[in-house]
Amino acid sequence: MKSRYIFFSLLLNFLLRLTIYSQPYEKVTEIRKWLVTENSNLRVNGSTNINTFSCQIPAYNNIDTLLIYRFKNSNTLVLKGCISLSVQSFDCKNLIMTHDLRKTLKAEQYPQLHIYFLSLDKLPDLNSHPESILGLVDIEIAGVKRRFEVKYLIREDSPKSVDLLGSRDINFSDFHLIPPRKLGGMIKTNDKLSVDFHLRIITTN
Amino acid sequence: MKKIIVSGLIVGCILFIVSYGGLFLAIRFIPSLFIEYNNPLFKSDGSRDVLFYLHAFIISFALSWFWDRFKGMFKGPFLIRGLEFGLVYSLIALLPVMWISFSSLDITVMMVVSWFVYGLLQAIVAGTIFAKINP
Repeated sequence: MKSRYIFFSLLLNFLLRLTIYSQPYEKVTEIRKWLVTENSNLRVNGSTNINTFSCQIPAYNNIDTLLIYRFKNSNTLVLKGCISLSVQSFDCKNLIMTHDLRKTLKAEQYPQLHIYFLSLDKLPDLNSHPESILGLVDIEIAGVKRRFEVKYLIREDSPKSVDLLGSRDINFSDFHLIPPRKLGGMIKTNDKLSVDFHLRIITTN
Repeated sequence: MKKIIVSGLIVGCILFIVSYGGLFLAIRFIPSLFIEYNNPLFKSDGSRDVLFYLHAFIISFALSWFWDRFKGMFKGPFLIRGLEFGLVYSLIALLPVMWISFSSLDITVMMVVSWFVYGLLQAIVAGTIFAKINP
């Protein structure tokens, strides 16, 4: 399973590079580099038929780079970069919910979830007012990767510092996961999960 | 033997509807009672669902045998016989099990009391039907 994951990661990487570099080089008019910093976090909100829950990965442990390519004659921007989050870091403020979520996401078999950034529909005018932008991402959970359109809110927090809030509803079933259930399924977790990620970004150019 | 099996089967079907119907309605209308079931004691992967739903038949066949063996000791109209049967079963079987469960597991008083009442009602319903169909 791990070798399959590595293979698909390499394949995706290759295809992404192919997408970027197959454009005539002179067509890339701008490249921007964004650093995703440690203060970033991810939250999932879900519900069962008796209550709701909210689980968070409170701190991102890495510093990763997102590259943004702008092309001539195209409004869509190509993104290259990925953030990887440890499933074991999920905290639902309730030991049992935390345990159930990690188990459902197969944390032992697939310790990390990945968000691959693919595109933005336009380059944001960075200022203190939040700007709404759409983009494509691939989300990989428990070894299954799915493509989603994500709604972002982007605003400049301070010079060279950007807050990016991404939100998207996903389903456990999108990733072939079975939500937890108790008492013969009479208490069951709903399939839908709302994912919000908050990236604190430092712009380098 | 045939009487035990037939009445066990009939009561099993009725208990299935009453027990799981009641549980379904309780979860729907008083969900707060079930928050405590977010507990590692309860399996969350669904691998034992069949066993869970067979419980109505396990208890009905056990009680059917118990009724057939001791029915002569329960006197009076069928409702009184059913009620006494339920109370006897609860006192002999349920109370000690609930006691040891509460003393050894990480569960609340409310949870144990609800299990006791659930079992008591099941036994009263079963006893009443046994008194009618296998007097």
